[in-house]
Amino acid sequence: MSGTLTVLAPGNTVLTDLGRFRGPRFGLPVNGALDQFSARAANVLVGNAEHEPLLELTALDLRLKASADTLVSLTGAAALLEVGGREQPSWQPVSVRAGETVVVRGIHGGLRCYLAVHGSVEAAQLLGSCAPDTVVGFGTRVQAGTTLVLRRSVRPIRQPYFDLPLYRFPWGNDGGGHGGAPGFAPARGDHGRGAVVEVTDGPDVEEFGDSADLLFSSEYTVSPRSNHIGLRLGGALPERTTSGEVLSRGVPVGAIEVPSRTELLVLHRGRGVTAGYPVLAVATSAGLDRLAQARPGDRIRFRPTTVAEATAVSEQSRLHLDVLRRSVTAVFESLGVGGPAAWRQEQVEQYV
Amino acid sequence: MSVTESGSRSGVPVRVSECGDGALRVVAVSADREANWATVHGLSRWLDGCGAVGLHGAVPTYDAALVEFDPARTSAAQIRAFISLGLEFLALGPFGAEAPRTFEVPVLYGGGYGPDLEDVAAHQGLSVEDVIRLHSAKSYIVRCLGAPAGSPMMDGPDFPVPVPRLKDPRLSVPAGAVSVAGRQAVIAPAVAPGGWCVIGQTPLTVLDAGREPLVPYRPGDRLRFRAIGQDEFDALSGSFLEPLPVPGAAAEARS
Repeated sequence: MSGTLTVLAPGNTVLTDLGRFRGPRFGLPVNGALDQFSARAANVLVGNAEHEPLLELTALDLRLKASADTLVSLTGAAALLEVGGREQPSWQPVSVRAGETVVVRGIHGGLRCYLAVHGSVEAAQLLGSCAPDTVVGFGTRVQAGTTLVLRRSVRPIRQPYFDLPLYRFPWGNDGGGHGGAPGFAPARGDHGRGAVVEVTDGPDVEEFGDSADLLFSSEYTVSPRSNHIGLRLGGALPERTTSGEVLSRGVPVGAIEVPSRTELLVLHRGRGVTAGYPVLAVATSAGLDRLAQARPGDRIRFRPTTVAEATAVSEQSRLHLDVLRRSVTAVFESLGVGGPAAWRQEQVEQYV
Repeated sequence: MSVTESGSRSGVPVRVSECGDGALRVVAVSADREANWATVHGLSRWLDGCGAVGLHGAVPTYDAALVEFDPARTSAAQIRAFISLGLEFLALGPFGAEAPRTFEVPVLYGGGYGPDLEDVAAHQGLSVEDVIRLHSAKSYIVRCLGAPAGSPMMDGPDFPVPVPRLKDPRLSVPAGAVSVAGRQAVIAPAVAPGGWCVIGQTPLTVLDAGREPLVPYRPGDRLRFRAIGQDEFDALSGSFLEPLPVPGAAAEARS
């Protein structure tokens, strides 16, 4: 009999993964975790492949109960994690005993948290992903009473006498936070207010003439009408100097467009794959992770960068996750947690 | 901003532009629209099967393909090299194009099923009957799969003038809605907001998340519309849109 996680209070939670990478060629958005670094890190911390199903919490508290011993990790925005009534650190693997309640509450300084569980949970797949797609009506609904089936159980890995973790993965300064991951995992409290998002020139930047520079000289406010499809931002708007109908083309996640006279639109992972608006600029992968944590009312500035620099940042974040995976693997092997094969296959499985 | 022009060997010149750190846009820039379309679709099929590490896939449309990749596992330079290689293969002959199939889409025009039919007719200076006749007269080529949810994007009917988009887009257009806008035509596979003029609806189910592929047509397939009445609409409700049998295929299967 498999263990389960039973949702007691769902908040605003979806079961997702890194996204439906085969979707866009069929006209479906990629979707998946909006803060990709946090989602990847959450899975790495519990010894999973990065693309395994996990929970994405947006703004609201989550409460669930485990029927078997397991390991969980919480990443993303700052929040309070409680297991069996005891406060536990974020950005670390945390043991959960059978019957204990896991609570995430008070998400602040950001908008989204990721809760991963060792071995992950069973999830229906569409084109290689469990990520919800609201247009085609696909996805596992997470509501009160929803039961998620654990694929694996693991005995508690805590020091038995003082109830302290046996190890702590080094994220840097404060242990519980993740300030040791500068550049790609925004330090605690850095989410949201005054966030800087790096962008590269869009393929149609010339259509905006000199007004394109407005993007870098003004500050933008996140509208409450923002969601996984895109963020709407109020502020000074660059204007298209050309006219005429643009042929529908594929638009990248991160595309910055000016579809109206009132708001700037930054497309995120739920974006329609094709559109007919010129693309002014494109947010970098790291910038998209930051935008995923922006709350309505937060202020944002854009800073120009180059694709080469943005790629270097992505490679650095990749390196950081690889280092983390190596230390997790070493610690888990010494503690006899799980089987190493499950995560070593990831290189092969991740992007099929 | 790095833009490269290439394609001397493939025949159709293309322009490759940066599109953020995880995508490139390839635009075919010859004077021949059909050649441009065939090039970006052939290139996308090749890229989807080439197995390059970190390459997510390509989204081909009319004259362009968006090529998406993971910047942490590969680089724009590496993907550009694959694009050039794909174009070289393409120059040797059409790549991987499957024989086009034909779909017949029954449509109940006007009334509650096509609330914009009369406005479209008035704007064109045509009768409602003429609009239906023109819309169901020709065979359309599915140019690409677009948003939302695998919509078949097609060059529109032979109307006198382009069809303007709605001033107030609808918040919800039903699945099966048959619409026109500009010089384009489309069917809505799923419920979604929409700013195109809805002139009718098909009773057939176009998209099924439980089947693969999700939608039955692919770019290059042919599609034509046939006007039906309420009785046939009711009788066909819930059936799937399927390709017409290929002439001769049934006889072959029997022998």
